[in-house]
Amino acid sequence: MRAVGIVLISVALTCAVIGNAYYQKKQFYPSVVYITKSNPSMAVIYVQGLILVLMANTFLRKIFFGNLRAAEFEHLMEKLWYAVTEACLAFTVFRDDFSPKFIALFTLLLFLKSFHWLAEDRIDYMERSPVITWLFHVRVGTLLGILFSINLAMFNYAYTSTIAKGASVQLVFGFEYALLLTVVLNINVKYILHTIDLQRDNPWDNKPVFLLYTELIIGLVKVTLYIAFVAIMVKIYTLPLFTFRPMYYTMRNFKKAFHDIVMSRRAIRNMNTLYPNATPEELAAADNVCIICREEMVAASKKLPCNHIFHTACLRSWFQRQQTCPTCRLNILRPTIMQTRQQNQAQPPAAPAPQPIPAQGPNPQPGPAPFQLPAFWANFPPPPPPTPTPGTPGASQQPGPSSTSSTSQTPSFQSLGPGSIPIFAPSFHPIIPLPPVPIPPTNLTALSEEELRMMEGNLRQAVEARIETLKRVQLLLDAGIAMMSQYQTVTTIANIPLSMSTTSLKNENSSSKMSNPMTKIGENSQTSTSQNHKSNYSNKMKASTSKTVAEASTESIAESSITSTNEAVATTSRATSEILSEQELLRRRRLEKCAQGDPSID
Amino acid sequence: MMAGSALRRLMAEYKQLTVNPPEGILAGPVNEENFFEWEALITGPEGTCFEGGVFPAKLVFPPDYPLSPPKMQFTCEIFHPNIYSDGRVCISILHAPGDDPMGYESSAERWSPVQSVEKILLSVVSMLAEPNDESGANVDAAKMWRENRTEFEKIAQRLVRKTLDLPV
Repeated sequence: MRAVGIVLISVALTCAVIGNAYYQKKQFYPSVVYITKSNPSMAVIYVQGLILVLMANTFLRKIFFGNLRAAEFEHLMEKLWYAVTEACLAFTVFRDDFSPKFIALFTLLLFLKSFHWLAEDRIDYMERSPVITWLFHVRVGTLLGILFSINLAMFNYAYTSTIAKGASVQLVFGFEYALLLTVVLNINVKYILHTIDLQRDNPWDNKPVFLLYTELIIGLVKVTLYIAFVAIMVKIYTLPLFTFRPMYYTMRNFKKAFHDIVMSRRAIRNMNTLYPNATPEELAAADNVCIICREEMVAASKKLPCNHIFHTACLRSWFQRQQTCPTCRLNILRPTIMQTRQQNQAQPPAAPAPQPIPAQGPNPQPGPAPFQLPAFWANFPPPPPPTPTPGTPGASQQPGPSSTSSTSQTPSFQSLGPGSIPIFAPSFHPIIPLPPVPIPPTNLTALSEEELRMMEGNLRQAVEARIETLKRVQLLLDAGIAMMSQYQTVTTIANIPLSMSTTSLKNENSSSKMSNPMTKIGENSQTSTSQNHKSNYSNKMKASTSKTVAEASTESIAESSITSTNEAVATTSRATSEILSEQELLRRRRLEKCAQGDPSID
Repeated sequence: MMAGSALRRLMAEYKQLTVNPPEGILAGPVNEENFFEWEALITGPEGTCFEGGVFPAKLVFPPDYPLSPPKMQFTCEIFHPNIYSDGRVCISILHAPGDDPMGYESSAERWSPVQSVEKILLSVVSMLAEPNDESGANVDAAKMWRENRTEFEKIAQRLVRKTLDLPV
């Protein structure tokens, strides 16, 4: 209703203006001159022109598209807004060429663009609409034909006028029409692909591939056009700011299309070559329904390394988006990388591998260790043959835990057991393959947002490093326990007096009880290692905890009382709580930041 | 054929939802002509401040569903930390891996073709029960949820009554 009102008012105003002019001048030519000389009259005429154009646009839209869906209209308005603002930016460069002709050309461009956008949306909708009538085909066919010829004609006009008269605003129009030509081509290809797809009875697996490649090629053409245009503009006029937004999006899309193609090709190749077809038994066992399309798997289906089964076609289209298993998200491009990484991880501990086995020295059985190693022991190199060094069991055991749990402990080695050093000739710490643990400063509140964020980014690595070290500490402890049980067997075999075997029994108990606190100590000392080495506080911490670790291990194996261990646990747990409170502070700060964050981030 | 498979899958899901409807959830296409726009009714989870409410929402599916997630938007007024003030739902299951509006989600909880309308709606119900105040789609709501729970519950109750057309 409002639109009708506006149209009526505008028509009435125009009539008034013309009537007024004719009333004053009585003749055609003087009236025209009068109107063009009078600014208010011209404003009315311009508004009338704009309304006529809009009416024509609506009329043609009705012919070619029928009723627009809400989403289509929304897109149209959104894009129109961008186009108008960018055109206003372009005007600033070409303010010398500003003339009614320029306005007319610009309006025509917008007019045509709106049809391109609508056609694009309509073609995309083809995939979703269940019924495609012949009317749709006629409409789209004529529209694409008309748009293509107009674009070509306008481009040609811009080209010839630029050649004949030199660079002018026609440069921009020529460039815009060239871009519109690529758009029409893209729509055309999509339309043809969709039409072929609709004619087929069975799914057309290759359509997404064709679509991806079309996008890549069109993207390449567009990027080239943009770069050429910017280069020419910079050379002749100035930096064309108004092209930067569309140029950025085009480049981003192109990069994404390229990346998608590379990754999906790799994933699909993996699928075709590495993964087996699912056998009927496997299909029966796995429900027989492809969870992607929810249909029965009678056609070809593949089994991924994680034992999940899908239709080959469904997998192929999914791999064009993501190269993971839809169910468990196993990255199917990574297995080989993961294997090599595992090997890498298994390799480095070999050099400094602590050797709990030498303790077999006093063991009369020269054969392999009679106890079962824990499962993760498998990652470590096979136990070396018993070394002839018959050092005291305690001494040979000591450096194991302390060397893993702290980074630079060479002095403490020497002070603790000089006899053991030859065995651990490579006295460098075993954390070489791990990423460096970030060193948070003592005062976290004094940090800026970026610094905090940076630490956050490294946190995961740090935690991984800690866990890795903890695992090793645990490993050593398990080895220690196993060894103690071995001692026990030895004492029973050797028939050593009962009093002795009870002490060893007690010792075993204590060491197994120790294992939990010991892990904590290890964790703690590792955390403290990650603290700022320069800060006195953590330096002291490190010294104290590493000493407690060393002491604890020495004492436990040297059959000492449990009370000292308790003490050690007490001191370390206090230190842990201090660190924890610091982490809590950091976390709370982050949360606050989050709450104050920009709500417009979507 | 993408179109066909998306359509067939949506039809299958619709059938599944009508034959075996989950408790407290109702969903289906707005009309039979267009299976890519659904309407859903979600009842507020019991024992929460949203209890008793019936919240209408609309789901819009992309042409390449289920490869891409649908979009969900409540069509009633709702005050919740993870729902934008215009009703759009911000929940990780509706985000394709790779785009992370809030920068905190692990890809394990993102969209994958294994998910379904039913799972989305169930996730939304549990989101109503337990808001994630670390990602504030509605910052005011997140702040109030954290700091002034009683006020939050009062607002929620008022909106619940509003969805039921009861006097506020």
